Amino acid sequence: MAEERSNEDIVAEYLGQNPQLAQWVETFRGYCESNKQWDARREFILRNMEAFPTVEPGVPSSSLDRLLSLSMVWANHVFLGCSYPQAVMDKIKEMGEGIVVVDAPVHKTTKDGVLARGKRSATVEVDADGCVKRAKCGSNELDSRPVGRQKSGPLPQAPAEHQPFFNRLYKAVAWKLVSAGGFGPNLDHFEILRSCAESCKETLTCVFVPLKDIAGLPAGRTQKEGHVCEIRCQTVYMGTGYGRDESAAKAMASKEALKVFQGRKVTVKICRRRYKGKDVEDLMLLDEQPRSQGFPPALSYPFQDEQLEDGSS
Amino acid sequence: MGVPAFFRWLSRKYASIIVHCVEEKGKECNGVRIPVDTTKPNPNEVEFDNLYLDMNGIIHPCTHPEDKAAPKNEDEMMVAIFEYIDRLFNIVRPRRVLYMAIDGVAPRAKMNQQRSRRFRASKEGVELTEEKARMREEVIQRGGYLPPEEIKERFDSNCITPGTEFMDNLAQCLRYYVADRLSNDPGWKNVTVLLSDASVPGEGEHKIMDYIRRQRAQPNHDPNTHHCLCGADADLIMLGLATHEPNFTIIREEFKPNKPRPCALCGQIGHEIKDCQGAPREKQGEHDEFADTMPVSEQEFIFIRLCVLREYLARELTMASLPFPFDFERSVDDWVFMCFFVGNDFLPHLPSLEIREGAIDRLVNIYKDVVHKTGGYLTENGYVNLERVELIMQAVGVAEDNIFKKRKEDDEGFKRRMKEKRKRMKAEQRGPAYMTTGQFAPQALGRRDRPEAVQNARHQAYDMRMQHNKDAAQFLKATMKNGGNPSAGASGSADNRAMKRKAEDSDSEPEPEDNVRLWEDGWKQRYYKTKFDVDVEDEDFRKKVVKSYVEGLCWVLRYYYQGCASWKWYFPFHYAPFASDFKDIKGMFTDFEKDTKPFKPLEQLMGVFPAASGNFLPPTWRSLMSSPDSPIIDFYPDDFAIDLNGKKYAWQGVALLPFVDERRLRAALTDVYADLTPEEVRRNSLGSDVMFLGKSHPLFDFIHELYRTESHEDTEIPAELCHGILGTLNLDDNPILPDKPVTSPIPMLRDISQNIAIGVKFKDPHFADGFVFKAVLLSGAKMPNKVLKPGDWEKGNREPWRPQLGFNQHRQQAHLDQSGFRALGHSLNRNQHGGQYSNAPPPSNYQQGNYRSSHRGGHQPFQHSRQNSLLGAPPSYHQPQYPRQQQQQQQQQQYGASRGHGWDRAAQSQQSAYQQNMSRGQGGAPAGGSYQQRYHDRQDDWRGRRDTRGPQHQAYSSGRGYPAPPPSRRYNWN
Repeated sequence: MAEERSNEDIVAEYLGQNPQLAQWVETFRGYCESNKQWDARREFILRNMEAFPTVEPGVPSSSLDRLLSLSMVWANHVFLGCSYPQAVMDKIKEMGEGIVVVDAPVHKTTKDGVLARGKRSATVEVDADGCVKRAKCGSNELDSRPVGRQKSGPLPQAPAEHQPFFNRLYKAVAWKLVSAGGFGPNLDHFEILRSCAESCKETLTCVFVPLKDIAGLPAGRTQKEGHVCEIRCQTVYMGTGYGRDESAAKAMASKEALKVFQGRKVTVKICRRRYKGKDVEDLMLLDEQPRSQGFPPALSYPFQDEQLEDGSS
Repeated sequence: MGVPAFFRWLSRKYASIIVHCVEEKGKECNGVRIPVDTTKPNPNEVEFDNLYLDMNGIIHPCTHPEDKAAPKNEDEMMVAIFEYIDRLFNIVRPRRVLYMAIDGVAPRAKMNQQRSRRFRASKEGVELTEEKARMREEVIQRGGYLPPEEIKERFDSNCITPGTEFMDNLAQCLRYYVADRLSNDPGWKNVTVLLSDASVPGEGEHKIMDYIRRQRAQPNHDPNTHHCLCGADADLIMLGLATHEPNFTIIREEFKPNKPRPCALCGQIGHEIKDCQGAPREKQGEHDEFADTMPVSEQEFIFIRLCVLREYLARELTMASLPFPFDFERSVDDWVFMCFFVGNDFLPHLPSLEIREGAIDRLVNIYKDVVHKTGGYLTENGYVNLERVELIMQAVGVAEDNIFKKRKEDDEGFKRRMKEKRKRMKAEQRGPAYMTTGQFAPQALGRRDRPEAVQNARHQAYDMRMQHNKDAAQFLKATMKNGGNPSAGASGSADNRAMKRKAEDSDSEPEPEDNVRLWEDGWKQRYYKTKFDVDVEDEDFRKKVVKSYVEGLCWVLRYYYQGCASWKWYFPFHYAPFASDFKDIKGMFTDFEKDTKPFKPLEQLMGVFPAASGNFLPPTWRSLMSSPDSPIIDFYPDDFAIDLNGKKYAWQGVALLPFVDERRLRAALTDVYADLTPEEVRRNSLGSDVMFLGKSHPLFDFIHELYRTESHEDTEIPAELCHGILGTLNLDDNPILPDKPVTSPIPMLRDISQNIAIGVKFKDPHFADGFVFKAVLLSGAKMPNKVLKPGDWEKGNREPWRPQLGFNQHRQQAHLDQSGFRALGHSLNRNQHGGQYSNAPPPSNYQQGNYRSSHRGGHQPFQHSRQNSLLGAPPSYHQPQYPRQQQQQQQQQQYGASRGHGWDRAAQSQQSAYQQNMSRGQGGAPAGGSYQQRYHDRQDDWRGRRDTRGPQHQAYSSGRGYPAPPPSRRYNWN
């Protein structure tokens, strides 16, 4: 279930396998870096090491310094709010794709227009609205925090609208599993999920993406074959799975989705996750267990069209 | 120390430390300027031996002044700098040494601050140009007029950084300047000039300190040298105290807050750029004849007497009943140390200690407690006792919660008051909504022409009523005509009010959001989360911050008392921890890395400049600041966040800039070192201090001999030739030599054909590694006379206390002749001063706390034209016309120590009491009979202001030679 694990785990596992590398990379930690900042930057360095073929662990070189410098640019941008010339920014945006920083601080530079006080031009106001205020709650409440309306994304009332349907689906799945002899590895997970959804007069949406088309995967993952499947129902995300071919991926995704139904109830919530390198709001089906890990990046995003329709009507 | 509030706080609390400079101005005769003869005694009635100039405090205002037109080119800047130094030399008139120190490469701890300043300057520059362009557009669209844009290139003040061409030129120009003055100005004849330019590493003031410290550690030093240090930084006060020299004075420009600045767009004073209307310029004078005169007066100078500050501190810090004898010198060191908590250039200040909130007083109280408890001082010779510091921090930590809450309350209170004030001001401007007119119109009280009895009151009332209706009807009509847009039409009162409402709303500027909310519970958690992005449970991280801060405190104190302990050390965070976090700090610091080296000048430029100032660097070096492939590109963000950190203005906030990684910087530069031109290589090398002398100096022949024999080895200065100054001399490669003409680097100044100055490399006396400079008074040091009123003065049953205003206790008072009094009383009596309110104190500057009036006060009323015409030409006033006998006394006592009190004797005769009275009374004097009384008033006033200890009226009840005050007086001294 590697897909479900957060990047931190992957990095930790990777470094566990390469203790010398771990030791070496630790020497680049700045004295003032907090664990959180360093973990993120370390991931950046490790992910991008391949792109700098002349970098050899343990050997100082100018290409290593360039990598370190870019990692600092990225960290300064994310954690301090610095901005750099456009060419540099483009580069780190590309290199930093896929690294999840939970609850990154929001800093305001003058470019955001917040310090340009006194004058209240239209641009300033737009910028100020677009600024996501830093969440006041701790990280464990992160998933439930209210977020201002984004330009595209689910409507705030969407979870409430979808909740009754999933309550019905929960019951249907529960009965189906009881009749199938309980949740286990030898079931046809997709079939169970499909029949339950159809009994509730809905269909499942499956999206398939070849693995090689997904950018920003950890550098250590060399396997380029295979497909990833994402299952949604009523635009609500249910699960992601990976397999050698599309049907295997679909089965894996259904299994992940059914896992959610093992709790005492299921809840629809709006959560932040990555989609095409950006942070977006998505509708997710969750059990009541608190999740410490981030979500796998979304493969589809059904809310953009909806937004457009809203706009045109 | 970058704490402007510090000096303000100090000068308010310890008012007597400030003495105004007396400056003799050069005269002009038939268009020829006659320079001031600085060989004459100092008009400040004190003689200084050494004058030290912290040159950066001079270079900045001379190159980009805030209150006058900027110099057009570099040459004009240099001339402005020369004139500024001349001015200072004239005021201080040093007799032995003039030390000029320009900031060289600073220790790493300081470089972070420099970096932040330079990035900000560059960012502000860009923003200003943008705003200017935008406002310009707007104003012109509205039909306003703006002067054409200047084509002139903006002077980038960032070039005032060691290693730039500008600094190199400046050093060259200063050599010329020194040679010129030594050759031509008699006042410089015997002065030893030391020039430490930007190629010598170290901050200017610390190079000066190093010099003083090393001189006083060698046996030939004269312990009674009178030092005068020029510079505006508050930390000069700390440095001066840290020397433990008894005679130490600081000279700086008078501090005038809130000087009006011209609008950057139209150049007029009175509004900021965002409010610029592009209105036509007001005429200056009837025919605009004063158009080019700057509205501000020349900046005046003040002395800050550290010996007086020491007196104050002695009062404050002295602890009775200690288990060991109290050592004042040690407690001064501790006081200096505690001031660092409140702010310094090297560490962010602790969130709970704010100088405006009496942080230093709080610290002093805690400190006394701690010394009692632990039986010892916090510091010794610049080394810190961390155990005791921890106790102080813990005591502050206990109060932290309350401090934050109180701060919030004060802040809210202030805002409320300001809001009310604005409201009040507006109400005043607007006047009442309805005013009676005609016979019922309000009349001022107490006017000569009394209102007459009302006639035909009913008709008048009818008129007023109808007038009001007419106004309203007209307003309505106008509104309709303009298509319902009232603001375009008539000036109806309703319209007026609508406008006001809008204006009021815009007044409440959006408050910067403060997520930390130190005044609410859970502040510590929020602070660490928002500022450091760590959870409060992350003990390790918090320890790291505290450890760095503790190191910082040790580093700073060592820097002030022993010199730079490590060129490498710096505080690697943007924020300070809380005082309550300082737990178990005892073992947190042992020692600094030894033998660290400062950056080379150009390396340093790479470390402090933003990419926008890259033009001061060679091309390949510059490209490291902007190329995406540069291995140090992360040092140069083109924009960055400024965290206001609870403050109001961006310049008070914290610039969130990344720190420079020294290893990567050096590694990146090794590749481009080869690209330096020989000229740049020279600029990048470390230089040496240079010593200059004139021909008549006793050391001159000695040095000249060195050049003749070409002895290229270190030579010690013979102590007896140079007032006990020691140091090592070495031949200069391109020396200034007598009879070798010096070419002028500035086209508008002449070459020196008859040069009689000589220059030689100079090095401070060397001391072995590990030598500890002792922070003590030297033996043989004579303490200057006390200035403050002794606490037991009244008990001594002596004369009334007379406050000392200048350096000289027996300074001549300004004085008016008897006939003058008659004339004055005569004229004043006839004028409005004779009224019943004449006993109320005049609207003087006393109340405003303007210390200048305290010794100039006597002069001021006579500058009114009326009195001028009465007393004849004002200058004659400045020559005191004492009765002969008294004058002789005064002359004898000039500079004399304590040979009898001329003033006291004078005061015993009634007549001279009058004189005192008149010379001090600063408003117009009252009617004849109450001279005596006014004198008392004034005296009382004075004492109340300068010295609040003890009830003032005691002085009056004790027996003295004064006649009883006239019975008519109304003043009540209780």
